[in-house]
Amino acid sequence: MPPVILGGVIVARKMSPKRKREAVAGYLFITPNLLGFLIFQLVPIVVAILLAFTEWDLINDPIWVGFANYRNLLKEPVFHLSVKKTLYFVVINVPVQSMLALLIAILLNRSIRFQNLIRTLFIVPWVSMAVAVGLTWTWIYNSQFGLLNEILTRVGLDKIPWLAHPDWALISVIVVNIWQFLGFHIIVFLAGLQMIPREVEEAAIVDGATPLTRFFKVTLPLISPVLFYDLIVNVIGTFQAFDLPYAMTGGGPGSATRVYNLYLYQKGFQFLRMGEASAMAVMLFIIIGITTAFFFRVVGRRVNYDLT
Amino acid sequence: MKKPLRLVGEICFYLVIFAILFVYLFPLLWQLSTSLKTMDEVFRGFSLIPKTPLWENYTTALRDFNVGRFLLNTILVAGLITLGQVISCSMAGYAFAKLRFPGRDFIFFLYLGTMMIPATVTLIPSYVIILELGWIDSLQGLIVPFVFGNAFGTFLIRQFLQGVPRDLEEAAEIDGAGYFVIWSRIMIPMAKPALATLAVMTLVSQWNSLVWPLIVTQADKWKVLSVGLAAFRLFRTIQWNTMMAAVVMATLPMIIILFLAQRFFIQGIQFSGLNR
Repeated sequence: MPPVILGGVIVARKMSPKRKREAVAGYLFITPNLLGFLIFQLVPIVVAILLAFTEWDLINDPIWVGFANYRNLLKEPVFHLSVKKTLYFVVINVPVQSMLALLIAILLNRSIRFQNLIRTLFIVPWVSMAVAVGLTWTWIYNSQFGLLNEILTRVGLDKIPWLAHPDWALISVIVVNIWQFLGFHIIVFLAGLQMIPREVEEAAIVDGATPLTRFFKVTLPLISPVLFYDLIVNVIGTFQAFDLPYAMTGGGPGSATRVYNLYLYQKGFQFLRMGEASAMAVMLFIIIGITTAFFFRVVGRRVNYDLT
Repeated sequence: MKKPLRLVGEICFYLVIFAILFVYLFPLLWQLSTSLKTMDEVFRGFSLIPKTPLWENYTTALRDFNVGRFLLNTILVAGLITLGQVISCSMAGYAFAKLRFPGRDFIFFLYLGTMMIPATVTLIPSYVIILELGWIDSLQGLIVPFVFGNAFGTFLIRQFLQGVPRDLEEAAEIDGAGYFVIWSRIMIPMAKPALATLAVMTLVSQWNSLVWPLIVTQADKWKVLSVGLAAFRLFRTIQWNTMMAAVVMATLPMIIILFLAQRFFIQGIQFSGLNR
């Protein structure tokens, strides 16, 4: 076979004229998409890996520094803190969100009226702009005049400095994150539950299984692939949380809500340390990769892929 | 005896569901309510219904806080990107699903391989490209990185078109139709549900997106709503009613579109959230 150049219009010579025309058409049809992919996806990935080995402030020429960025980051207390905050975010957000969503999905998984309306209402926060709902919650969380403290006062409890105190700020932001994306997971789990064949559940009922046994022995194993995939996507997404902390607290008070991507943004675009910020991006990719691999090894083996 | 009991159970079930929904959506109702209150009522009122709705909050936000300009930019940017993605992904999706060309599967696997890479990784290099092109504070800078589509959209359209039977194309080919005609007259009409799903998913994610516009715009003239609104937090005295009016204008359009296109949102979520 003569050489074939990828993405070009040079095609193997032995092709029939019809096949040649088809191949040319194929390349033409993917050209806009492929160009966008190459310029804003593939090339940037390679460049990010290279930039991570440099020191660069966008103004002077980049200087090659080898692994210095990685070494410095690993020694830096603020970096450690941002990793800790992010892990805390993931560890609270993901299980609570999944359990709540699964509970509501099970509640909704029967032939009910208003099925569409109910599902749609649950994803209203998800289609709402994160910055906008972040500001809304900032108002609800307001220490002096906010709705939550108003309620606490009326039932005779002390006010809580939701976003104003380092001990409370992160968990307050996490609550909003759980709230905003809950509907998404409800829809996913509901679709998973609806894939379970009716007969299987009915057979369990005939066998006299209690609802609880039915849940743990029938429902849970059967939706475990859906649950597992959703969990991974959720972990990957939560590692990259940015919009809500940025809009609600800007990372404060102090460093209380400065999650990984927020710190990366500050490093790159406020302190103009593009090399270190790139190293952080590469490390995030590695952290996510390790976590995903861990999930596949530890949890993935228990997932049941039959029947669904 | 059994029937009335069942009915009571049914009613209780719906009461529970709608009570959960009321609590769940209360923050958004509170946002709407605050946006129509006077400042006096904002600090003293604990009622959901404002005494007399104060629509001026909306005009104040639009005029004095530049929200009109931000809203226009958001509509323009999100609209153009959605249009571009639908066209570009439907073209590429057709080629990947139906046409044979050397390297097709390799390129497609490359797409899939980069789908799991966090967007943060490409952020700085993409910014540098836009900076070098002199596109900071411009419409191009905001839309070009996204307008050609992405792996998700291409994947979605490809999956859908693979289910379209070959006879349709073959019949068109016998009639002498070229590839462009097959794409525009057969594939696009066939792919309408998938294209609608892609359109609403893209529209929502672009309307709400923050990071990219945050780094490529500095002048108020080019700021989109998310970036403009985020700056509200930094004001020394916050006028909560005006701010909530701006926030309602940022969220309501997407909520309306959600209700108009429910089916496609559900499909989009199922496609991105289920193990494929």
